[in-house]
Amino acid sequence: MTVSTTSILTIRRADKRRGNRLLRSPIAVISLIWIVGLVIASLTSPLWLRYGPLEQDLTAVLQGPSAAHLLGTDELGRDLLSRIVTAAASTLAIATIPPIVAVAITVPVTLWAVRSLRAENVMNRVSEIVMSLPGTVIILAFIAAVGTNMPLVMALFGVLLFGALYRILFGQAKNLQKQLFVEAAAVDGVRPTSASFRHVLPNMSTTVIVQFVLFFGVGIMMQAGLAFIGLGPQPPEPTWGGMIQTASRFIFQQPWMMVPTGAVLALTIIAANSLADVLSGGAATPPPLVALRRTRAEKKATDAEYVVALAPTPVAASGPAEATVLIPAETTTDFDEIVASIPDDTPDSSAPDLTPHGGPAAEGELIVDDLVLGVDGGPALVTGVSLRVRPGRVMGLVGESGCGKSVTSYAILGLLSPGLSVRSGRIQWGGVDLVHADEQALSKVRGHDIAFISQEPSRALDPMFTIGWQLAATVKRLRRVGSAEARRIAAQLLDDVGIVDAPRVLKSYPHQISGGMAQRVAIALALSGSPRLLIADEPTTALDVTIQAEILGLLRGLVADRGMSIVLVTHDLGVVADLCDDVSVMYAGQIVETGSVRDVLMRPEHPYTMALLAADPHAIIDFEGVTRLASIPGQVPLPGSWTTGCRFAQRCRFARDECLTAIPLGPRAEGAGGVRCIRRDEVRGRQEEWRQPVAIGGADL
Amino acid sequence: MLLFILKRIAWAILTLLIASWIAFVLVHLSGSTPGGVALGQTGTPEQVIAYNESVGWYDPWLQQFFAWVGQVLQGNLGVSLIDGRPIGPDIAKRLPVTAALALGGTLLSALLGTTLGVIAAVRGGAVDRFITILTGIMLSLPAFWVGILLVYVFAVQMRLLPATGFVPFEASPEKWFKSLVLPVLTIALTSAGFIARQTRASMAEALAQEHIRTLRAVGTPTWRIVYVHALRGASLPILATVAVQFIVLFGGSVMIELLFALPGIGQAMQSAVGSADLPFVQALVLVATLVVVVVNVLLETLNRVLDPKLRAS
Repeated sequence: MTVSTTSILTIRRADKRRGNRLLRSPIAVISLIWIVGLVIASLTSPLWLRYGPLEQDLTAVLQGPSAAHLLGTDELGRDLLSRIVTAAASTLAIATIPPIVAVAITVPVTLWAVRSLRAENVMNRVSEIVMSLPGTVIILAFIAAVGTNMPLVMALFGVLLFGALYRILFGQAKNLQKQLFVEAAAVDGVRPTSASFRHVLPNMSTTVIVQFVLFFGVGIMMQAGLAFIGLGPQPPEPTWGGMIQTASRFIFQQPWMMVPTGAVLALTIIAANSLADVLSGGAATPPPLVALRRTRAEKKATDAEYVVALAPTPVAASGPAEATVLIPAETTTDFDEIVASIPDDTPDSSAPDLTPHGGPAAEGELIVDDLVLGVDGGPALVTGVSLRVRPGRVMGLVGESGCGKSVTSYAILGLLSPGLSVRSGRIQWGGVDLVHADEQALSKVRGHDIAFISQEPSRALDPMFTIGWQLAATVKRLRRVGSAEARRIAAQLLDDVGIVDAPRVLKSYPHQISGGMAQRVAIALALSGSPRLLIADEPTTALDVTIQAEILGLLRGLVADRGMSIVLVTHDLGVVADLCDDVSVMYAGQIVETGSVRDVLMRPEHPYTMALLAADPHAIIDFEGVTRLASIPGQVPLPGSWTTGCRFAQRCRFARDECLTAIPLGPRAEGAGGVRCIRRDEVRGRQEEWRQPVAIGGADL
Repeated sequence: MLLFILKRIAWAILTLLIASWIAFVLVHLSGSTPGGVALGQTGTPEQVIAYNESVGWYDPWLQQFFAWVGQVLQGNLGVSLIDGRPIGPDIAKRLPVTAALALGGTLLSALLGTTLGVIAAVRGGAVDRFITILTGIMLSLPAFWVGILLVYVFAVQMRLLPATGFVPFEASPEKWFKSLVLPVLTIALTSAGFIARQTRASMAEALAQEHIRTLRAVGTPTWRIVYVHALRGASLPILATVAVQFIVLFGGSVMIELLFALPGIGQAMQSAVGSADLPFVQALVLVATLVVVVVNVLLETLNRVLDPKLRAS
């Protein structure tokens, strides 16, 4: 089981009703007006057109636009405007036949196929064959049989579109069918048929409508194409395709002729496709995971709304994991307010070991100084985080999901997603400030000095390339060696991380190896540039317990053998106790307690640390089985909803009114480090109280 | 792998039989008979019936169909009802024209489409919006109309290229090339939109994968992330779209072939339909279906090779 503990920035289109969406889009409104206007103009044309569509005037042939003939005339002196408008109504009406037929066949077939495995097999085959038929050629053969009866030909076209539509709808219906509410409906005893109609069909309706509109456009295109090759309605009846065909014959004498008809045809199809685009919610795509170019904050949440998706993991095993919470951007406060709310906490001088003072870092030392980062045009995610990681030390960064641990670790190497950026503060590596470093300076640090391993080993490697290829390519670049040497080093690296069967693993693809093996490979990849600092974002979360221990052992070896330092992001205090020298506890975007592992875990001074410890099954050293596992009531407040006071106060059993004032990171009572609690001295040593099942003062549940 | 290919070929044969059967039924449902078409106005009803009997037109359908299949298997596609010439060699002569057109059009639109799609996905923002609008227009424009515009600009106005007509490669490679430039360009401009949209979507998806962060963390340069890793990850759906484009072009190049007076398959289809040349229609449906199934088998085989997950299984 893997739990996303990362704050993910997604761009989510507001899920408005379709009608609203149409009316809010100027393009959609113009498209609708164009199509409806064309139909009305065409139907009322006998009332207002000055010339009939068949009315010839051999004294005025092949004319350009004039007052008499607004769009000019054709080779027989017929008015182009009149012919275009007259042809519109029947063209558009007949263009609805393919989508009607396709939907009428496909929707029932899809609903049938999702419910029965046998039906699914049969229909998948049928759709495959239909899709393998050469559409245009079959239609032409059909015309050879039935003649140029357009409604009939377009009906056949609709049948041929079944294959494509079935593929689209079936995939979606299958997903819907699997969804919880449909299963729930089945449990409740609703008959499958009515479940399909009540639940699956309404959810497919947007797709159906979008495809309908797209097929409508294709229907127009197909009619024009057939008329263009002379297999549409026969002359003298006006058709758009036929008129373009005529225009092509007189291209030397009167090039103007192709303009009006072609433009009307093109605009009508553009209108249909634009409608479909708007209906389908636009061409929304996921943003890149990592900003490829480091642009300064300039994008505003206007056309799409930013939301911060947080997946809170309950610290204790207290019931099912919460669902992803989506917060519309409107609920978040304005950037200036957030910045104003950041407490002014200059690192205290009485915490010399773990909090930096400004000034450059020593060689091989990482200093994060008062780091503030947030969503561009949105809330801050991390406010005023300071860390100091000395060579050969392991710094743990712990906290619940959504506290800003991972995003802080991404910021160090400039791996933030687009839409997130560092607002202030420094990240000092030796003499380089990584926050203000350009891409070139960063690339000298990435892999060479600082490496990164992520929480999802099986997804951390490119599935398209063999492990050997990926490792060798990285080694080649980072160590500037030849291919043969790079392959040798790659095998050596796998050996170093405890992979016994290196030659086989080198030849494997990422999907062919286990998660634990993948994490070893990821570590080997991280080692390919012989870095001095490793940033490990939940390196063991996704792994089995036994594998976790192996990976932790491996990381411990790196520190012992290579003198590497590690920033270890985790929510597992057992891992912290196992591996770290120092630890910083993060809560709601700030560090609430920092110090040596011994001090923080044995003598916690911040109520949040106490709560985490009481809630952690590994940290309980009580074997009599009477100790209660605590659960921390409530959830981590979401970015943008942070108060100026203690951010934990709402969930803290020790909270008093004084906690609502801004609280700086003060010195620890015992040992080096800091703690952000105004009642430090009153609450110290009271961690056992967290195990008592009482309602918490001030907690809102 | 071998079993997979054999299975696909069995499917292909079934598809061919079904498409041929559809064509056969359509031909028989049409009001025309071979005698009526071949003899035209001059034939008396008795002569027409005699002609029809001589080609087995009144035999049971299944018997006729399998007789036709048997002939096809021997390489005999029949003779045209209009000019009495064998159909097979005629199609063989036309295939290179359509193939050059479809292949050239597909390659150029793939090049144009992937370029636009990659730029849209990587640059994002205003560039993305501009390209989305551009590709939206591209895929909405009727190819035959774009073709006329190109003829007007490059042939009528600038006199750089011939407006219409075809010169075989053997006659003059240079003129052959020139005669194909405008048709291929027409196809590329109208087909690149689909490929661009697919590329954009697939690239965006590929760039949102977790391993991009890993690559970035070891200092992989942006160009390498985009063009080696993300494009490779997006290659399968892009390839599928390109294959679909080729199929559509091969069967659907009728309008382009007529506009530019290229003696290809599409042009033959149009005239065979117009003149009710029944055996010709049937043969062309077979050939067009053959192209589709061959491309599909090739695509799926290529997918097996390109997708490590499929390759392993």
